Amino acid sequence: MSDDARPANRTSTHETLNFHFTPVDPPKPEEGAINPHAKRTTHVPDVVAALKERFGADVHEVTLYANEHTVRVARERIVDIGRFLKEELGFTYFVDLGGIDRFTEEDRFEIFYNLVNIDAGKRLRLKIRVDEDEPVAPSVTGVWRAANWQERECWDMFGIRFEGHPDLRRMYMPEDFEYHPLRKEFPLLGIPGSLPLPPQAPDAPVSLDPFPAAHGSKPIKSYEEPETDLSEE
Amino acid sequence: MGLESALEQDGFLTTRVDAVVNWARSNSLMPMPMGLACCAIEMMAFAAPKYDVARFGSEAMRFSPRQADLMIVAGWVSYKMAHAIRRIWDQMADPKWCIAMGACASSGGMHRCYGVVQGCDNFLPVDVYIAGCPPRPEAVIHALMDIQEKIRNQYSVAKDYAHGDRRPVVAPAQPRLLAPEGERLVTPENLYHQE
Repeated sequence: MSDDARPANRTSTHETLNFHFTPVDPPKPEEGAINPHAKRTTHVPDVVAALKERFGADVHEVTLYANEHTVRVARERIVDIGRFLKEELGFTYFVDLGGIDRFTEEDRFEIFYNLVNIDAGKRLRLKIRVDEDEPVAPSVTGVWRAANWQERECWDMFGIRFEGHPDLRRMYMPEDFEYHPLRKEFPLLGIPGSLPLPPQAPDAPVSLDPFPAAHGSKPIKSYEEPETDLSEE
Repeated sequence: MGLESALEQDGFLTTRVDAVVNWARSNSLMPMPMGLACCAIEMMAFAAPKYDVARFGSEAMRFSPRQADLMIVAGWVSYKMAHAIRRIWDQMADPKWCIAMGACASSGGMHRCYGVVQGCDNFLPVDVYIAGCPPRPEAVIHALMDIQEKIRNQYSVAKDYAHGDRRPVVAPAQPRLLAPEGERLVTPENLYHQE
């Protein structure tokens, strides 16, 4: 309704909203067409070709999903591959590293490395796989020092040891914690008694019950308020 | 003609020590801001000029536990942090009070997982819980007023009797608050509406 159509004696209390509530779907792309929303930065065929030429059979798998290249390589060669990527292909920026629990019989854990070549504006994802029986991977802290805390986190959460790491301590959980919480078999609410709660009173021992309040325990303040019997008065 | 009306002409009044001490304590609470997560942002708003907790005498946040008497646990508490919080609580001088601010501090909130304590009342004596995720600063002010109400209705000097000679026990000093509808006196028993 435009302003002209409204009677002169009626004043407008609101504007008419002029937009479509259900946008029209764009036409479907043809088969094989590149996803228009995909980022160009993650499409790195030249890097993949260089890796294949240099390392041959140690490049196990190359996948392209949503225009993102992911290269799975041999676990033993990850340091050499990392050094090659950093020094010869310019992937100087180490963004992230993390673990994935695939929960499979063999090669249970996967570690991904996100790398960026800042000058060329290119991104690459590397992956390696480690087995549950021997969860050990070479540390890439010698190549990128930024990997230090990420590898500590991966050790803390998945129990994957990194050989050559300068200081492989737990990142988040207490140092005497016995489990690796992001493994699939770890219960969501934790294991009772594995993490102590603080004492209920200043000099009391730590509490191993994770829900003392639900079990009737009332933490005391440090001072005592006297019992008052008003009936004496 | 009693003593009180005789002194009144000279500008004196009589009262009880409990009432005066509680009045002073309740209007000069110094919070220890235990800001652990996003609730701490609302706690900052609570202290900032818009909500202006200085009206209640609690604008002086004390980051030293020795100088604070009200701990506001704002945010989710991890098992690792819980030990530090209990230690800070033990270092605070008596008397002291505790507010569990928000769903996470009160019950663990949405963090129902291995690393987060399911409510800080598992290791702290919480006086007031605030619902909300995060609570509005008005809710924190309401909790502060509840703490003030609690202080005004408790013992301050009478507790010394427990350690000395047995003396006649008297009822806790209470401010003479009249309910809005008339002459009904507000006491801890009828503090909240129990219609």
